Amino acid sequence: MTALLAIVLSGMGTYFSRAVFIIALANRRIPSHLRLAMEYVGPSVMAALVVTMLISPAGDLMLGVAEGLALLTAGLVAWRSRNHLLTIVLAMAVFWGVRALLG
Amino acid sequence: MNDTAPLIRQGIRDALPIFLPVIPFTLVLGIAILESGIFPALGWSSSPIIFGGASQLTLITLLGDGVAVAAAVTATLIVNARHLMYSAAMAPTFQRQPGWFRWVGSYFLVDQVFALSMLRIHDDPRSFRTYYLSVGITFWLCWVVGTGVALFLGPVIPQSWGFGFAVPVMFMGLLVTGIDRWPKAAAALIAAAATLLAADLPHRAGLLVGALVGVLSGLLLERRR
Repeated sequence: MTALLAIVLSGMGTYFSRAVFIIALANRRIPSHLRLAMEYVGPSVMAALVVTMLISPAGDLMLGVAEGLALLTAGLVAWRSRNHLLTIVLAMAVFWGVRALLG
Repeated sequence: MNDTAPLIRQGIRDALPIFLPVIPFTLVLGIAILESGIFPALGWSSSPIIFGGASQLTLITLLGDGVAVAAAVTATLIVNARHLMYSAAMAPTFQRQPGWFRWVGSYFLVDQVFALSMLRIHDDPRSFRTYYLSVGITFWLCWVVGTGVALFLGPVIPQSWGFGFAVPVMFMGLLVTGIDRWPKAAAALIAAAATLLAADLPHRAGLLVGALVGVLSGLLLERRR
């Protein structure tokens, strides 16, 4: 039962974090500099997520040649093609290819 | 005029490839649930109740380790605190939406839905709403069904294949497609560097530090333009 309690509380907290500003600011004027700042949430959080996933639980950066080249490929393909499927397929091909070459 | 169907199709077409790299994540979560000792269906119920991969993994792992409910929930909410920023970033767009959609749409505001729908915030409100719900519901169905299937497939597929690396690759793609001017690229680089510097913080709070530094630097760069 404690697991259910923890899941429900986490679910409520998560919903709150997603809804709070959407609902609280629904009828308020949002200052223009704040709107501008909010455009930076996407790039900033996504970049932070990528880095977080490359960090081990002990706090060390885990970025080998295969990972680095694959992320570079992902960046270039996404920039040129704007196609997520192509990005993932090509970047993972580079990742597995380099890993196989380096043994 | 019926322009709803093409928007729904577009949402599904955008959401499905983004779910591909999430499949290994579902397997990791499936294994974590099985290893935690929590009744599997109960562990899986975190998918519809929380609907957030990294935070579910955190919660299940901590509960499996015997951590107290209050501490486990706190850690989970820290992992999910970036959604506060998504909520603020989406607030101006949701102002032009009906009340019910603010309550329903908030539930679907996960990383991928946020990143895809941010590219559409200049659409008319009805088109935005249709697209957002299409992406959100597609992604939700895939996640809820996928994490259920993973309970059976997770133990079968070897982790050494390295499928998990598809997750940072996906976020790299979402990052780049969201950049439409140079200060955003600069802010992303600064956010990445700050996250790295804050890597030692507990509960992966470096993510929040990095993201906040990125947003603040973006604001400063805009002022200079």
